Amino acid sequence: VNCDDARILLHGHLDGELDVVRDLEIERHLEECPRCAREFATLRAMRARLKDETFRFEAPAELKEKIRRALPQAPLRANGYLSRRRGFVPRAIQFAIPLAIGAMLALFIAPRAIRPNENDIVAREVVASHVRSMMGSHLMDVASTDQHTVKPWFNGKLDFSPPVTDFAKEGFPLVGGRLDYIDDRPVAALVYQHGKHVINVFMWPSTGTATSAERIQPEQGYHVEQLMVAGMNCWVVSDLNQPELKTFAELIRAHG
Amino acid sequence: MDAAYNLARWLVRDDHDAQDVVQDAYLRALRFAGGFRGGDPRAWILAIVRNTAFTWLKRNRGSNSPAEFDESLHHGDIADAGLEADAVRGADAAMIRDTLNELSEEFREVIVMRDIEGLSYKEIADAADLPIGTVMSRLARARGRLAKSIKERVSKEST
Repeated sequence: VNCDDARILLHGHLDGELDVVRDLEIERHLEECPRCAREFATLRAMRARLKDETFRFEAPAELKEKIRRALPQAPLRANGYLSRRRGFVPRAIQFAIPLAIGAMLALFIAPRAIRPNENDIVAREVVASHVRSMMGSHLMDVASTDQHTVKPWFNGKLDFSPPVTDFAKEGFPLVGGRLDYIDDRPVAALVYQHGKHVINVFMWPSTGTATSAERIQPEQGYHVEQLMVAGMNCWVVSDLNQPELKTFAELIRAHG
Repeated sequence: MDAAYNLARWLVRDDHDAQDVVQDAYLRALRFAGGFRGGDPRAWILAIVRNTAFTWLKRNRGSNSPAEFDESLHHGDIADAGLEADAVRGADAAMIRDTLNELSEEFREVIVMRDIEGLSYKEIADAADLPIGTVMSRLARARGRLAKSIKERVSKEST
């Protein structure tokens, strides 16, 4: 690698976006070339500075509220959008459109909508709920990194008590919880974070036969893990990559 | 939504306008939900925010518009800025923010998406409608310019 090429590839190296071979070439070049090494140190310092939260603008609460109100909360409630268009739209599509509008739910689903089994349906609800929680800014009812705050919060709101454990030490800090509605019942949703990725964990008491840990096909970029924890159905959803999500699911199982 | 607002805020450089842009973008997103082709929904939303912001900028482009964006590769952009890492660490945050705000939007947005928002090159390519091969070179030039401007300001302050 010459310096001219390195000056661009340095950035891929910094961002962890190079393939292994290129990465090694750049590393070797940095050892040999003090000028590029100095440039790299500067770039790294710049990136570290910009990562600081002072450079990140947080959406004002009023904006989140405005958008949350504008977004349909659930597919069925989106019916109102349609009333004035009725008559133009064939009956079959009338049913499809509210779904499409509903928090952009249908577009995550439509390609796979043929003969879903029960797990698939729940998986979709779970993914849709995850997406809604991210878009509608209703991510948390109780924001706390303390499991002893989050767990009691569910008392009286649910007829069961979900196991709540903070996995901050393992790199998955608990950030809060909220009530959600999945599979026709209120459920506990725990919110964890891993880097900038948000992980939603949905829990409710199992009624049917215990289905053991099962990996669900990724739903349009989201990964879903299902497991049983302390007699509860437990669904884990995130845009986190599958192996890391699996690791996280194992943590939950181990502490359930 | 923080990601959407952050990007809009950096692009239009005003809280009130950024709120309008984000709200408009979400409404568009709902209307054109069918245009979603799968992939990363965050990149998709950011793409809409970005387009909305650029439309807004075009309409409201004032006299104090930042440097014209030039796609062609100038060697100077990625040459040594001569900026020391220690100078970056010691630099004033407000000064860095001003410097970033002076870059053209095309440079500013890749830095915001990558360094502040933590998007991958693939996500940036999707959101900014760039070929993935262009993301790294544009970042290289954007960061090069930023370094150069910071260097200029630092040496101005010390004289």
